[in-house]
Amino acid sequence: MLSRITTTVLLLTLLSAPMAQETNRSQSWLTQSGYYRVSYTSMLKPLVINRIHEWVFHIEEADGAPVDNATVSVTGGMPKHNHGLPTDPRMTKVLGNGDYLLAGMRFHMNGYWELTVTVDAGGRRDTVIIPLTI
Amino acid sequence: MTSTMKKLVAAIGVAVLATAWWQLGPRTPAPWTELDLMVLQRLSLDSLPALPPDPTNAVADDPRAAKFGHHLFFDTRLSANGAVSCATCHQPERRFSDGLSKGHGIGISARNSRSIVGSAYSPWFYWDGRRDSQWAQALSPLEDPAEHGGNRMQYVRFIATDPDYKNQYEALFGAMPDFSDFSRFPAAAAPLKDPLVSSAWRSMTDEDQRIVNQVYANIGKSIAAYERLIMPGPSRFDVYVRALLSDNEGASNDILTDEEILGLQLFIDEARCTECHNGPLFTNNEFHNTGVLSFPGDLPDRGRIDGLKKVLADPFNCLGEFSDDSDKRCLELTYVRSGIELIGAMRTPSLRNLGGSAPYSHKGQNESIADLLDLYNLAPLAMIGHNEAEQKLNLSRRELKQIEAFLKTLDAPLATAEEWLRAP
Repeated sequence: MLSRITTTVLLLTLLSAPMAQETNRSQSWLTQSGYYRVSYTSMLKPLVINRIHEWVFHIEEADGAPVDNATVSVTGGMPKHNHGLPTDPRMTKVLGNGDYLLAGMRFHMNGYWELTVTVDAGGRRDTVIIPLTI
Repeated sequence: MTSTMKKLVAAIGVAVLATAWWQLGPRTPAPWTELDLMVLQRLSLDSLPALPPDPTNAVADDPRAAKFGHHLFFDTRLSANGAVSCATCHQPERRFSDGLSKGHGIGISARNSRSIVGSAYSPWFYWDGRRDSQWAQALSPLEDPAEHGGNRMQYVRFIATDPDYKNQYEALFGAMPDFSDFSRFPAAAAPLKDPLVSSAWRSMTDEDQRIVNQVYANIGKSIAAYERLIMPGPSRFDVYVRALLSDNEGASNDILTDEEILGLQLFIDEARCTECHNGPLFTNNEFHNTGVLSFPGDLPDRGRIDGLKKVLADPFNCLGEFSDDSDKRCLELTYVRSGIELIGAMRTPSLRNLGGSAPYSHKGQNESIADLLDLYNLAPLAMIGHNEAEQKLNLSRRELKQIEAFLKTLDAPLATAEEWLRAP
């Protein structure tokens, strides 16, 4: 936990843009087959529409051990509008201790979104849908 | 008249009166909730952030470039026939639009001329987002056969041979290259469809093409420095929101009529307009298929799905060699996404200053605001792709009128000094 905080503080220091951190670590989601537990932190606070920014995803094994060799990808969209994210976010950095930086996050409408996060580590691939209302 | 007929006439009369009351009767707007006020604040011009820098354009905020660009913007010599300037389709008195379905330059443009007011805030340009900066956009009409109709070689030679323009150029970008050798730099050359112009371009060395492209890019960057100054001014809506949010109770009285306020309430709620027309410029600058019918005689427009390919292939894009962003961060272009929902999708226009800029939509298919609102109310099937706004609004004629009344409160004089709004 301490090192996770250290990573976060380090990230905030490195990213000089006037963005604050929005943490949703209080909530995590178990992937469909139960392999991983996923939580996220938005580097844009408050999380508003129409601004491109980065998120940090934290990936743990179901037992809580951080996963460090994963590939994390995100797609998403608004089911009500039948459209996806306006961008194609990609993992740009492995931060260690189960943290992964994803760049290119942007939302262009307020409302209900669903983000599909896919975690692939050591040949085990699993997916979770994270609901998000902006 | 039999008694049955009398009853029937009476019943019809009651129904007509009830409908008339429902459509025309007085209604008072409900008080704003805290959530509403937050939404209104986000739409207010007071929430518009400072203009972000354009790292792709080193002279974007240089007043000398704005002055040079101001001259170029109004100069009809930047065209094949000497009669078309940027201001032909982007007329200051029409809020930098032209009042036509499609732009009229040398020929007729493929689409409606978008206003450039506040466009410096957008990551994308044109209805289909086929350019990703104001300066890259400014270059495109210069070579469009239906618009300015010229070629880049012609334009860079024009700047190089006009003493005043050459001086202004050199003060910004350093020494103008020597274009006097016609064996190296033909009279007309550019990578266009015209076979003569294109073959002349191909006859040039890569290095000479690069020299021409660099000067051409600098022309666009100067025009963009001018366009960055064209900003919307506070409207009655903004004055109303400021008054609502002030501590002075009653300050907002009499700024908007009840009909306009009712329209605003519909706008942010039942009519769901703010799903796309959000933020202080009333646009998310993203791409949506809203089922706008094809222009009569035209095939349905593929919109963003083609615009995306074009912006990625544009040598003047953020990632290209003529971009001044040495880090090439280019987040929007790097993380841009394709998808079938982009078929027939067009970039959301701002709703500020709709007055005087009719007709509307990407080919001017909608003559009036009322026509536009009818479109969303009826939610037709898209001719190609999928209409995102497929849910009918089912608003009454009166409610549509109220939204229209509200939209007209967004008209306002520009926040740009008068000297920039006329030819220099």
